[in-house]
Amino acid sequence: MNRKKDKGFESPRPYKLTHQVVCINNINFQRKSVIGFVELTIFPTVVNLNRIKLNSKQCRIYRVRVNDLEAPFIYNDPTLEVCHHESKQRNLNYFSSAYTAAVSAVDPDAGNGELSIKVPSELWKQGDEMKVLKVYIEFSLDQPKGGLHFVVPDVEGSMAERGAHVFSFGYQNSTRFWFPCVDSYSELCTWKLEFTVDASMVAVSCGDLVETVYTHDMRKKTFHYMLPIPTAAPNISMAVGPFEILVDPYMHEVTHFCLPQLLPLLKHSMSFLHEIFEFYEEILTCRYPYSCFKTVFVDEAYMEVSSSASMSIFSTNMLHSGMIIDQTPMTRRCLAQALAQQFFGCFISRMSWSDEWVLKGISGYIYGLYLKKTFGVNEYRHWIKEELDRIVDYELKMGGVLLHPTFTGGKEKENPTPHLHFSIKHPHTLSWEYYKMFQCKAHLVMRLIENRISMEFMLQVFNKLLSLANTASSQKYQSHMWSQMLLSTSGFLKSISNVSGKDIGPLIKQWVDQSGVVKFFGSFAFNRKRNVLELEIRQDYTSSGTQKYVGPIKVTVQELDGSFNHTLQIEENSLKHDIPCHSKSRRNKKKKIPLMNGEEIDMDLSAMDSDSPLLWIRIDPDMAILRKVEFEQADFMWQYQLRYERDVVAQEEAISALEKFPTAASRLALTDILEQDQCFYKVRMQACFCLAKIANAMMSTWTGPPAMKSLFTRMFCCKSCPNIVKTNNFMNFQSYFLQKTMPVAMALLRDVHNLCPKEVLNFILDLIKYNDNRKNKFSDNYYRAELIDALTNSLTPAISINNEVRTIDSLNPDVRLILEEITRFLNMEKLLPSYRNTITVSCLRAIRMLQRNGHIPSDPSLFKSYAEYGHFVDVRVAALDAVVDYTRVERSADEFQWLLDMVQNDPIHYVRHKILSLLAKNPPFTRAAESSLCNEALVDQLWKLMNSGTSHDWRLRCGAVNLYHTLFGLTRPSCLPLPELGLVLNLKEKKAVLNPTIKTEQGPGGPELAPNIMFTTKQEEDCIVMEPLMGGMALAPQGLKRKAETPLGSPPEPGQVLQEEPPMIKAAIKGRFPTQDEEDIDMETVHDSQAFIYHHLNMLDRPSTPGREPPIMEQALMSMPATPVPLFSKESTSSSKHGGEHHHHHHHHHHHEHKKKKKKHKHKHKHKHKHDSKDKDKDKERDSHAFSNSPASGRSMRSPSLSD
Amino acid sequence: ILQNITEVGRCAKASCEHTARSTPTLSDVVITLVEMGFNVDTLPVYAKRSQRMVITAPPVTNAPVIPKSLVAGQKRTHPAYIPSHFPEFPDPHTYIKTPTFREPVSEYQVVREKAASQRRDVERALTRFMAKTGETQSLFKDDLTAFPLIAARPSSIPYLSALLPSELELQALEETDSSEQDDQTDTENNHNNNIHDDTGADKENAVLPPGGVVPTVKNNEENMIDNPYLRPVKKPKVRRKK
Repeated sequence: MNRKKDKGFESPRPYKLTHQVVCINNINFQRKSVIGFVELTIFPTVVNLNRIKLNSKQCRIYRVRVNDLEAPFIYNDPTLEVCHHESKQRNLNYFSSAYTAAVSAVDPDAGNGELSIKVPSELWKQGDEMKVLKVYIEFSLDQPKGGLHFVVPDVEGSMAERGAHVFSFGYQNSTRFWFPCVDSYSELCTWKLEFTVDASMVAVSCGDLVETVYTHDMRKKTFHYMLPIPTAAPNISMAVGPFEILVDPYMHEVTHFCLPQLLPLLKHSMSFLHEIFEFYEEILTCRYPYSCFKTVFVDEAYMEVSSSASMSIFSTNMLHSGMIIDQTPMTRRCLAQALAQQFFGCFISRMSWSDEWVLKGISGYIYGLYLKKTFGVNEYRHWIKEELDRIVDYELKMGGVLLHPTFTGGKEKENPTPHLHFSIKHPHTLSWEYYKMFQCKAHLVMRLIENRISMEFMLQVFNKLLSLANTASSQKYQSHMWSQMLLSTSGFLKSISNVSGKDIGPLIKQWVDQSGVVKFFGSFAFNRKRNVLELEIRQDYTSSGTQKYVGPIKVTVQELDGSFNHTLQIEENSLKHDIPCHSKSRRNKKKKIPLMNGEEIDMDLSAMDSDSPLLWIRIDPDMAILRKVEFEQADFMWQYQLRYERDVVAQEEAISALEKFPTAASRLALTDILEQDQCFYKVRMQACFCLAKIANAMMSTWTGPPAMKSLFTRMFCCKSCPNIVKTNNFMNFQSYFLQKTMPVAMALLRDVHNLCPKEVLNFILDLIKYNDNRKNKFSDNYYRAELIDALTNSLTPAISINNEVRTIDSLNPDVRLILEEITRFLNMEKLLPSYRNTITVSCLRAIRMLQRNGHIPSDPSLFKSYAEYGHFVDVRVAALDAVVDYTRVERSADEFQWLLDMVQNDPIHYVRHKILSLLAKNPPFTRAAESSLCNEALVDQLWKLMNSGTSHDWRLRCGAVNLYHTLFGLTRPSCLPLPELGLVLNLKEKKAVLNPTIKTEQGPGGPELAPNIMFTTKQEEDCIVMEPLMGGMALAPQGLKRKAETPLGSPPEPGQVLQEEPPMIKAAIKGRFPTQDEEDIDMETVHDSQAFIYHHLNMLDRPSTPGREPPIMEQALMSMPATPVPLFSKESTSSSKHGGEHHHHHHHHHHHEHKKKKKKHKHKHKHKHKHDSKDKDKDKERDSHAFSNSPASGRSMRSPSLSD
Repeated sequence: ILQNITEVGRCAKASCEHTARSTPTLSDVVITLVEMGFNVDTLPVYAKRSQRMVITAPPVTNAPVIPKSLVAGQKRTHPAYIPSHFPEFPDPHTYIKTPTFREPVSEYQVVREKAASQRRDVERALTRFMAKTGETQSLFKDDLTAFPLIAARPSSIPYLSALLPSELELQALEETDSSEQDDQTDTENNHNNNIHDDTGADKENAVLPPGGVVPTVKNNEENMIDNPYLRPVKKPKVRRKK
């Protein structure tokens, strides 16, 4: 039973949280600040609980009390700045391991946290009685950079009139950004949430709204929420704003919130939500677990959907009116996803990060069931194929995606995913792209499990999990039942085997415990004598992202006499499989051919090979393996498959295969499909593009009008005058989508000069000209946008003469027409904006295309103005895409800089993230190519960005890491100067080796760094080591220890480097605190200074404390200087707590030069030591060349009380 | 004298009608004259006087040839229900209107063509105007006036204009809703009018900020729903007041 397993769940913490109160007293929109307190009720599970570790980031903590006694605390966040050392390595391997270590050091799942509270000694004795402790923390947030997002439009009026709002956001467990908590999915507790907000605002949060009370002055009101269902802190969210309230007309427990003026859209968009509810409740035979549900639509959302307990936050851009076609299914899908996550993800939470795939898988799977029911089987199968193709492409390109990483912990260095440049040990180190693929694979694997055990059992399992959780949730904490609400991989698998009695072990082993997909190559021959189909299936399991498959595979053979399924066993060495054919006789005239679905149809068999009864063959038609199949069969077989196979997946496969057969027969088959109303519209859309490709390939033999033109004319133009399109009528969505797609595909046609045929261009221009939407019930904005896309597609490179500057006079007349249309559309959009500004988006793309093809001068200024904050987000992204493209093509350093500045400064998190992913997708240069852009300053800037500039947003930081990887690869960027050329002062050869080596041996999370890569160059590496030592005590011993250890502990490296003498340390401290001997830590001193600081903290006017800091410093503000974290492991428990109290820093700069000649090693040592008292000597630092381009230096350590 | 003669005639007529006749007789005239104070007996004498002027008959002129009226078309004959004694129809030209303008083109193609180009012209003129009066961006460095683009101007609440349907669209929606039945027959007549309406609306729209949709007040029925967000806000407890 999974119950046993769950009982076995052991909290990594020496206490158990049972209840938490969050009270936000004050939300200031003007200053973007929040003041509040939390109170955690905890049960110690050990005697003598003396230290409580909680998670908290960027909160300013004023006081901590445990059971009304003031408690000292330490705040230390190593993720603020990942690499403290003034390392010149700039090496991604190094960074990744340091980052992983930093995240581990505060990982709540390992019992760690940024905030360490010392339980007052008076309470220690009570530990025996296991008495409840109440931890009360007062905190505030000032201009939060993560966790909470303030949207304050810059218009006249009160905050409510301006539509100002604030909401919580984050990637994975990020609640620590806005209040102190145990930020783990596995620590459940009940909640009481209070928000005092302006009387004109509404505060929406998790749980039931118990009451709303005015404050005494009647100008504010307090919203009281209770969440009696045990919930993990990451599933808590809130939104405050002048929302309009809509109670769902079908379900009164459901309330929708949107920003002012959008209520009509909200009404329409939410009108079907009840159907989703009903669907899930029905298939899961379980009521929605929470007593209410709230949807909030906010501007500048972090993600389109984010779910938390009993509430989901959506992007306001998903709202739409009834006139919009294209957005409707998208919005519904998002809602369905959000709701699925309510059951699995919010209500049932995961036990650990490695169990994430189960929850993502189940929620994705039931979402798929909803798609199947609502949008039909075709859409569902199409979606599955799409998802399968995505994951297969990703894995083959980037390497495997591992669903269930097991970290056997300890000192083992094996890395389950050595091909990745990031660690998958924590959600916070994952690349966003990888995480999306992870989710995609998770639900596909769920589907595989369903295939294995049947849907009925699958739903029974879900129902069982939910009802167990339901029972548990209603219990008191003391019953120890709450862990039933956590789901683990093993618990899930046990449930499956209990319910179904089937062993799915091999399946799990293949797809969950192992990464990679299967790549099949298939071909066949028909043996006429034996009447046997000889099928050969080969696998590629050596290239990256692939794995070997052994087991059954289904093959469907359509013969003249019917369709037959065969199950073959793929074994180690057998490639060939003989499949007996059923059809004995050669075709019987007039006989109908039975299909798989029982249908019998007439076919024109003249195309087929007269010797063979085979019509077509499909390998793994049910997509029961995560695979890519490359199958060879004759073109006529693909054509038969396209025409007569009823499965949309088969049709789509046939279409992509037919691209390789540009013949008249293929053309006919595709045209027939295009014309068939019964055919799934997405297949027909795909056929359009295939037809365009075929037409281009058959250019010389093509007869008749350009492909699809007559078809389009027949379907959408007036009978009487075929050159004029009918006035729009989009009542039939299938033909609407086809009408949208055909011109886009047609524009891809090319004539012998590789130009878009004049006829086609004029045709598209006519479509634009005669477009008339006055009688239409629906908006035509997407249609018009696609017509502009069609114009874009028709563009071909201009014939350039001597690179002359493009002027109007040299404009090609066709291009002039196109440009006129675009200008007009873009200008009209200013007067009559279209929904989601789709037309502007298309126009910007078109203009960039004109520029890229050399028709008009390449110039980014237009795009830059559209990319500014204040435009609709879709427009901004399109404009940014154009700027990114410009940067790549023109190698413009200015634009690149501009983009990076925006990454750092843009108010919208999504845009910042998007810029990085656009840059990574379309990089201005790569590690392989030389580029003038690639220089030291850039390396420093990016390094700084990922090292410390993005500490408030995991997703952004991972995006920066991705970009760094794309640009420079894993090793030291090639553009950095070689050691001798650079910095004489800071040379110390050995150090570069040192740190990573230590990491390798100490941090289980740091297996990635491969020092040998770094040193194979046999170049001297230089690096500066700055040991940030706070107050000289806590970390210094480690620093020393590490140095001492290195020669002993580090495995010999290739090109071995010798350890030289430990650095001398000389302290010159200007602060008022005396230098302390690192080795001598006097606990008393520590406590004293702790008290001293605390005193200071209270004295200071709190908000002003940060205000005085230069902006970059802010993030580091509360941070305690940290060692590279793995070192923390043991000693830190005893010593690191004192780290925070010291007010000065020691910087040890060890400059060593090390030279190596052949097999001999010589050593030169230079030691320079500087000890700056940071707070006083900022300028000095800046001047000192040692720091000049070291992002880490200026901000590494500041403790709050530094400022005297 | 003319007055006298008229008077005589009038009185004679009156006296004749007085005696319920319609045609005056001699005696009527006599009575009239008597009443007017003439001595009737002297009349024959006067009539037979020697130097009486003889008024010659006017020279007989050729009866003027009535010019044949312009026959414009066949005169219509009476329909069966009109007795034949009624006057004939006048010439057709008196009652058939003659078109003085060219027949409107009703050919579908031309109409669509015209509608399209008209709309395009209006749009172009409008955007050119806007571009000329406001800030612009240009795609070409050498000629800033070619293809002027209205400068992108960030708005403080960009999602409103992007999400809310414009008034024009709403209006169009209402129209189509009401006239959903009458299919897409290629109607011609309204086209011209509509185009003008449209452009008028365009302009309005350009001036008015979009999104004038006022959130509708919640229905009464919803007030019946027990939803915590609809409950009235409580007053703070009194005891806590000082």
